[in-house]
Amino acid sequence: MSPEDFDRLQTLMATRAGSRLTRDRMKLAEHRLGPVARREGFETVEAMMAALWAKPVARLGWLVIEALLNPETWFRRDRPTFDTFARELLPVLSAARQGAPIKVWSAGCSTGQEAWSLAIGALDAGLTAEIVATDLSQRALEKARSGAYTGFEIQRGLKASTMLDWFDQVEDNWIANARLRSAVHFARANLLDASKDEHRFDVIFCRHVICDMEPARRAGVLDNLERRLVDDGCLFLGPDEQLANDSLAFRPVAGRKGLFVKSPAALSRAA
Amino acid sequence: MVDGHTRALRTEFVDGNRPLTPRTCLIVDDSRIIRKVARRIVEGLGFEVDEAADGSEALAFCAGVMPEIILLDWSMPVMDGMTFLRRLRTLPGGAGPKILFCTIETRAERIAEALSAGADDYVMKPFDGEILTSKFAEVGAV
Repeated sequence: MSPEDFDRLQTLMATRAGSRLTRDRMKLAEHRLGPVARREGFETVEAMMAALWAKPVARLGWLVIEALLNPETWFRRDRPTFDTFARELLPVLSAARQGAPIKVWSAGCSTGQEAWSLAIGALDAGLTAEIVATDLSQRALEKARSGAYTGFEIQRGLKASTMLDWFDQVEDNWIANARLRSAVHFARANLLDASKDEHRFDVIFCRHVICDMEPARRAGVLDNLERRLVDDGCLFLGPDEQLANDSLAFRPVAGRKGLFVKSPAALSRAA
Repeated sequence: MVDGHTRALRTEFVDGNRPLTPRTCLIVDDSRIIRKVARRIVEGLGFEVDEAADGSEALAFCAGVMPEIILLDWSMPVMDGMTFLRRLRTLPGGAGPKILFCTIETRAERIAEALSAGADDYVMKPFDGEILTSKFAEVGAV
C-alpha cells in the first residue's frame, strides 16, 4: 500500500468512524484488507483502494472501515466490571426503578460477548435488563446476532457451568439459548451520530472504544453518550481508559476503575 | 506436607501481589507435549508446577503434597481423570485443590458429568494462554 493510500485510509477512518489509524498499523491494514479485496473481486488491495478513491461507493467504503476496526473482545473481559454491574449496580438500580427493567447499552459491542455477559449477569441475579448492543460493523453484528461461538471463543472468559447454562451445543459451536437471546437486541449505530430520539439508558458500556478514537472526536462521542444516559446512570469505559481533558460530561467514581457518572456540569446543563 | 494452616500462612506473606512461596499446580496428562505447553502457561501465572502422566501417579503425588490447583486430563492410561477426581476427594485434604478438567472431550453431557463429579471448571482442548488464564481467574486461583 502506498503512503498516499494509507493517508487517505486514515482520513476515511477518522471522518466516518472517528477511528485513529496509526502509521504503525500499515502492515496490519494491508493484512486485514486482503480478504475484503478478494471477496469484492479485486486483484489486489491497491486495486480496491484505487477503485474506492475513484468512485467512493458507500458500501465498499464501509467494508474497508469495518475491516480496520479493532474487533477484539471476549466474555467477561475485565471481570471486576461485570461483578460491579451484576452485584452492586443492578440491585440498587432495580430497587430504584421499582423492578422495571434496567436499560443497558453495550456501545461498540463487536461480536457480542460483552452484551451476552451482561445479560447473563442480570439473569443470574434474577433481575431484568433490556440490553441494546450496537456496533459500526455489520460483519461483527452478524456474528453477534448469530450468538454462535467456537469452543475457543466461548471458554475465553466463561466458566464451563455458565456456558452449559446459557449456550446450546450445536456441532462445534455454542449458541446463545432462547432465554438469553430475549434479553439482548442488536442494531447498527455509529457513535459519531447524535441521538435523534429520547431513548435513555441506565447504564452504558463503551469499553476499549474511545481509546481507538481520534482525540479530536472523543469529546463529541462522550457528549452523545452523556445525552443517552439518565442523570443517575453510569458509564463504564475500559479499566485503563481515562478521560483526561476529553470530556467535561463525566467524572470518574473513586475506587472503581473505568466507572464514570455524569459531572455536575452535565447535570446543570440538563436542568 | 502442606496443610490448611501452612497455606493460610503462605498467603499472608505477600510481596506485592504475589505470595512469597509460589503457589502450586499439578498438571496431569499422558501427553508430554500438552504438559509442556500447559506448564509454560501456568508457570507464567506464577505457579510452581509438577507433572503426572496418569491418575495413579497424580494420586501418589497428592498423598504426599496437595497442590492448590490440578489441571486434569480425562482419558489416560492406568487411571483416568474421573477416577482420580473421585479418589482424590476421599483423601485427607483432598477437597482442597481446585480441579480444572482439561480434555479433548467437548460434549455438553460429559462436561456436565465432570462438573457434577466435583470439578471446579472445565477446559476444552485446544486451549491457549488466554483461556487458561481466564479459567484460573474464574476459579479464584489468580
